[in-house]
Amino acid sequence: MAFIDLENISRWYGTHQALKDVSLHLDPGRVGLLGPNGAGKSTLLKILLGLLPPSSGTGCVLGHDLGHGEDTASHGIAAFFDGEAVAQGSDLRRAIGYMPEADALIPGLRGAEYVALAGELYGMPRREAQRRAHEVLSYLGLEDARYRLLEEYSTGMKQRLKLAQALVHDPPVLLLDEPTSGLDPAGREAMLDLLLTLSRDHGKSFILSTHLLGDVERVCDSVVILHLGKVLLQGSVTSLRTRRQDRYRLQLEGDRTAYLEELRLEGVRIMEDNDRGEIAVAVPEGWVTRAFFALADNHGVLLRGLERDDEGLEELFHRVLADKS
Amino acid sequence: MSKTGQNQSSDPAAQAIGCRPSLTTNHSPLTTHQPSLLHYRPWRGQFRPAAWSVWPIARVSLAMMFRRKLFWGLYALGLLIFFMFFFGQYLLAWAETQAAEQTIKVGPIPIEPSRLIHQLRDGLRFNGSAYTFRNFFWYQGYMVMIVLAMAGSILVGNDFQFGSLPFYLAKPMHRWHYLLGKCLAVAVFVNLMTTLPALVLFVQYGLLDSWSYFADNGRLLAGILGYGLLLTVCLSLMIVSMAVWLRRTVPLIMTWTTVFIFCRLLGAALVEGFRYHPRWRLMDLWNDSYLIGSACMGVALDPNRQPAVWEALLLLGALALLCLIYLNLRIRAVEVVR
Repeated sequence: MAFIDLENISRWYGTHQALKDVSLHLDPGRVGLLGPNGAGKSTLLKILLGLLPPSSGTGCVLGHDLGHGEDTASHGIAAFFDGEAVAQGSDLRRAIGYMPEADALIPGLRGAEYVALAGELYGMPRREAQRRAHEVLSYLGLEDARYRLLEEYSTGMKQRLKLAQALVHDPPVLLLDEPTSGLDPAGREAMLDLLLTLSRDHGKSFILSTHLLGDVERVCDSVVILHLGKVLLQGSVTSLRTRRQDRYRLQLEGDRTAYLEELRLEGVRIMEDNDRGEIAVAVPEGWVTRAFFALADNHGVLLRGLERDDEGLEELFHRVLADKS
Repeated sequence: MSKTGQNQSSDPAAQAIGCRPSLTTNHSPLTTHQPSLLHYRPWRGQFRPAAWSVWPIARVSLAMMFRRKLFWGLYALGLLIFFMFFFGQYLLAWAETQAAEQTIKVGPIPIEPSRLIHQLRDGLRFNGSAYTFRNFFWYQGYMVMIVLAMAGSILVGNDFQFGSLPFYLAKPMHRWHYLLGKCLAVAVFVNLMTTLPALVLFVQYGLLDSWSYFADNGRLLAGILGYGLLLTVCLSLMIVSMAVWLRRTVPLIMTWTTVFIFCRLLGAALVEGFRYHPRWRLMDLWNDSYLIGSACMGVALDPNRQPAVWEALLLLGALALLCLIYLNLRIRAVEVVR
């Protein structure tokens, strides 16, 4: 069963159309949501959270109809007294753990209190919310920082804390808005590892909205690219990336000037050279990879690595955007 | 909504030994880069309806207010006022038993019993009448106002200042649950400082006097509850609206002071000094609530110096409505995702 099923969803803000006939059918798993600023990512997230109703179109998230469970959190007091509408919107947001991009912390609270409060707001009884908060914080490596004031948390700890409050009620789906924002490389790796673990070992699906294509490439198995309110591309990361038979990445050691010159004479194009011994090349038709080693041997260069250079997500993203514009 | 349990732990070791995962060992995936499946376990409890989220919001807001040591000085002053009324009643009762004496000593101070009784009964009004409770509300009100002016940014302003609003609004609740929670926190505070001690005083006067005191002063009890309700509704809506608007402590204190002190002085100057119509006093919101509170307790005020009660009631009602409209417009769930 698709966990997100949208049919021709459009959303207007006055005269501006933020989403244009978006249709998405996403199976449970790890989904990357990509798009430049103004692409409609935020609007799509709001609709998926049930905070905004679509102007037209239909859809359901985890079996909750977006048309009925609409913006119970944003409508006026009339919606508040509409018990059924409140329950619908609540059920939808209860099934989703949302990790916002902004800090969204409450100054003056301690880590364990913050996560326990999130649990209570999701509808957990107080005792269970407290117990669960301690469990989740321990799981995320914040065991020692549980009783610190939130103002004293580092950026990496804040990100983990935000994940903890999204995870406290054990939702089947996580909606992650820039989860690695502000993290150093080690912290970023750790966060992505954690997301992978949650998905692979604990069956969590997530939608990862980010500008960092590397994050999507690293953890997501499918990707949705939005541009100007439309879905430009949707599919699995591996199937979307072009398998390029003529591209290779080489790792060289030694004086490579003559070697590169020789390659050029053989019709090989040097696509990228980072001056640290790593080069990307495009080879002519009929080229055999053994030739790299033979030429390296001739010029006294040590060829330490050779791998095929398939299209990266970043290249895919730019290629798709360029095609459309 | 109950969970369907789709997140089964996949750890075969834990399943094989049939034990609960250890929660204390330091095997966090973020510290070792090797996830320990023993740490995470699914939760399968029953969720409560959205309305249950109101109390946690209020409780946390109150906790943050009571954690500020600065405010404890003001709470102590409030407590002193309560003790003044509480023990003043005992002092009066004791002085009445000493009426036959020429002089009595209150601590080191010698005083005539009749004079002391007059001071306590007619001056300070420690006689359990409507004036007693009205005065109590009046004095305690000052403490409440000062604390609220300083606590507004802690209660609500910080949610806007530090972007905490998405934390609340992304949860399965309506934004009115958020507002109710914040207003409930103010309401609990206001009633802890005013209505609850007033009720304690009411019971104390009854116990000191006779059981007929309770039977004869039903109106007084209703007045205490009415005055408390009025302060609760008006102050909670006003402080929450003002904190949403101004967010920071200093502008909030300045505006609060303007509304409750400057307008009060101006109203008094216009009516008392320039002999304007008493209706000009309506700009003094604290006086308006005092007027309605007095009416609740059956105390009539001078109509030549005060506006009509219904006018004050209408004004405060309109103000509460304006606050509700403003809050409805200002707190938008769409701010959750930026």
